[in-house]
Amino acid sequence: MALQENQAKILILATEDCAYPGANAVGQAHMSYPENTYVLRVRAPVMFPEHFYLDCFKKGIYGIIIMSCGVECPYEGAYQALAARVDKVYAMMREEGLDPRRLRLTGVCTVCTKAFVKEVNQMNQLISELGPPGAESKKAA
Amino acid sequence: MADDNKDKKATSEQKVGVYVCHCGGNISDHVAVEEVCKNAEKIPGVVKVQNDVFMCSDPGQELIMEDIKNGTVDRVVVASCAPDLHSSTFRNAIQRAGGNPYIYEHANIREQVSWVHHGDQATNKATRLVAAAAAKARELQPLEPFKVDAKRHVTVIGGGIAGLKSALDLARKGLDVALIDKSPFLGGWTAKWDRAFPTDDPVSELVTALAGEVLNSEKITVYTCSRITAFEGFIGNFKLTLTQAPPESDAYEDEIKRLSDSGKGFGEFVPLAGICPAGIPETTTTHDIETGAIVLATGFLPYAPRYGEYRYGESKEVITLPELIRIMAENRQKGVGDTLEINDRKIRSVAMIHCVGSRQIPGIHEPDAKGNLNEYCSRTCCSATLHAASMIRNNHPKTRVFDFYRDIRTYGRGQEELYEEASDSKVVFFRFEADAPPEVTRNTGSGDFPLNIKVKDTLTFDEELEMPVDLVVLAVGMEPGNISDLVEMMKLPVGVDGFLQEVHPKLRPVEIAQSGVLLAGTCQAPFDMGETCSAASGAAAKASAILGKGYVELDPFVAEVDLNKCLGTGTCVNACIVEGALSLVEMDVDGEKVKRAQVNPALCTGCGACVAVCPENAINVKGWTLKQYEDMVDMIVSDRILPSQTA
Repeated sequence: MALQENQAKILILATEDCAYPGANAVGQAHMSYPENTYVLRVRAPVMFPEHFYLDCFKKGIYGIIIMSCGVECPYEGAYQALAARVDKVYAMMREEGLDPRRLRLTGVCTVCTKAFVKEVNQMNQLISELGPPGAESKKAA
Repeated sequence: MADDNKDKKATSEQKVGVYVCHCGGNISDHVAVEEVCKNAEKIPGVVKVQNDVFMCSDPGQELIMEDIKNGTVDRVVVASCAPDLHSSTFRNAIQRAGGNPYIYEHANIREQVSWVHHGDQATNKATRLVAAAAAKARELQPLEPFKVDAKRHVTVIGGGIAGLKSALDLARKGLDVALIDKSPFLGGWTAKWDRAFPTDDPVSELVTALAGEVLNSEKITVYTCSRITAFEGFIGNFKLTLTQAPPESDAYEDEIKRLSDSGKGFGEFVPLAGICPAGIPETTTTHDIETGAIVLATGFLPYAPRYGEYRYGESKEVITLPELIRIMAENRQKGVGDTLEINDRKIRSVAMIHCVGSRQIPGIHEPDAKGNLNEYCSRTCCSATLHAASMIRNNHPKTRVFDFYRDIRTYGRGQEELYEEASDSKVVFFRFEADAPPEVTRNTGSGDFPLNIKVKDTLTFDEELEMPVDLVVLAVGMEPGNISDLVEMMKLPVGVDGFLQEVHPKLRPVEIAQSGVLLAGTCQAPFDMGETCSAASGAAAKASAILGKGYVELDPFVAEVDLNKCLGTGTCVNACIVEGALSLVEMDVDGEKVKRAQVNPALCTGCGACVAVCPENAINVKGWTLKQYEDMVDMIVSDRILPSQTA
């Protein structure tokens, strides 16, 4: 089933130094990818508290991809803090019956066009299997 | 508290204007702009929606400025291309109309919508991105950029023609300059050439003119045999450590020998080496430099052919164009005969092959050891080859020249003439396809020619032609210089071709993403000497414009504490990743002495590590608050703006 624009939305938190220009490079190359993807430009994703992610799922976001600068992060130490926080979010997601794969932390550089499209396609594949957030716990029950 | 309530009330009444760009047809061919505008009228807080063929054009900007001037809107959303292209255009327009430039938000509906999606879904996505941007815009507050004192000093890295030109232009503007080169010489690759096309200037004159003035300038300090070994700071206030050391054992051996053989002194031009300003250091020393801007003039490397590529390395009769140029320059000092001579061997016929190490095609050409192919055109080698071919024909009329090319790209002013001149001087041309390059073999047939060259010539409808030659010259292209140490240390952006990447080739041609660091010349792409000097002057002009005021303005996106919410828990201070950027200080609140968080805006980098940990959300990065993101997500999932049947 093709996922439509207004249904299974994927939120992409893209760093302004790396992944956001990377997403623009995908556009400059006129590579196509599903339109259920919403890229938000962030200075550093370390700013989001755990509840931000859980709230997004509650609001109906199917999947979140944090596209960071990885170890190239211009804010020394921010990536490590982010990675530790994402681990905490995974634990909280499990407690809430959410498949932790709905949240993905990855590095996307300014020219990583193929990586960008691959991440988007993989998340789309996953959410088409899982359905809406919370559906997985119902399936398990 | 009263003020706080007033602010909140103001926030709920922000008047957002939405301006949607067609970008010619770049956006409107795939996104129904009229429909986005119609939908945008339903977005909470939006009071005005307009569209234009080009929002970045003067009439487009006028639409925004009019609405700001007459008070119709006080927050602006432009839906157009990627924000790094035109944010400053629209911010400046708002400022010219008397508004604060930070009341602006961008919706990226070109790179992230119309260029990647099509049809109704593209229009719907564009609408949602506009709605999200408007939600963020409602929470934007006017901000003031920081003014930070800037050092009126520029460091130019690289003492080739680009570095010399930049340094001179900066000094003439009254700025102090440190000019650094890793070698003992000034002049770079230019000094190792002979005569520069298309004007046929001797490079000795160019380098002597530029370096002479550099060495005489009181504003310029030259450091040769030096490398940057530490880098920190930001625009206006960089701190560099230079390490000046004797060259490694065999480095610059040829140039140093040429210097001592020439009998020339320091500051004098030595052919095929350059100008050695002050000898070679015997010990290692370090220098700390405080500088306001950095110009990268680190240059290129000529492509080094693989062993066996057109028999290079296997046959001493196969050489590169730079090697030929050096030989011809040395010959001239000895006097020239009617036949070109190399090592006392008469060259009766020479084959010149274009595009060696340039325009490489995956599947046809062999990648280098790192798996890279030079897919770009090096742009300068056609003109350089034809210039050299004419020089051979004019100086040595008994030497025949055969030119093997894929395409002739003598693209600049005065350069098409080089092609005509080569044709007129009876250079014979052959054209080959990329997948059928000329074959160079040892000549086993008649005559005493050492080499044989065979080509399928498309000019004669794929006729196979073969001829014996005395010399094969490979027109090698340009490769990025080896500056991995600087790339790593300064986090420089590198393009897919390995050259340093500017922000935008037209809008910000000599700038990189890192403010205050500028590009001059062939570190950016293959340029000829004229283009290199233009880029060098561009970088110098940009650096002078940045530092001319004596201060720089930095974006005010730093953390801010809401004292109405802060309880002084100190969690933000523990989470802060920059030493000294955030601290707990004692202050008086409602007559009580309490501890509260305080930001040092000069040190805060605005990463937001503090935002995530505050239980009260009492700290946020200005212009990028958590609430803004929450509001944006609300608009992305909302079904208020788009009718539900679009689902």
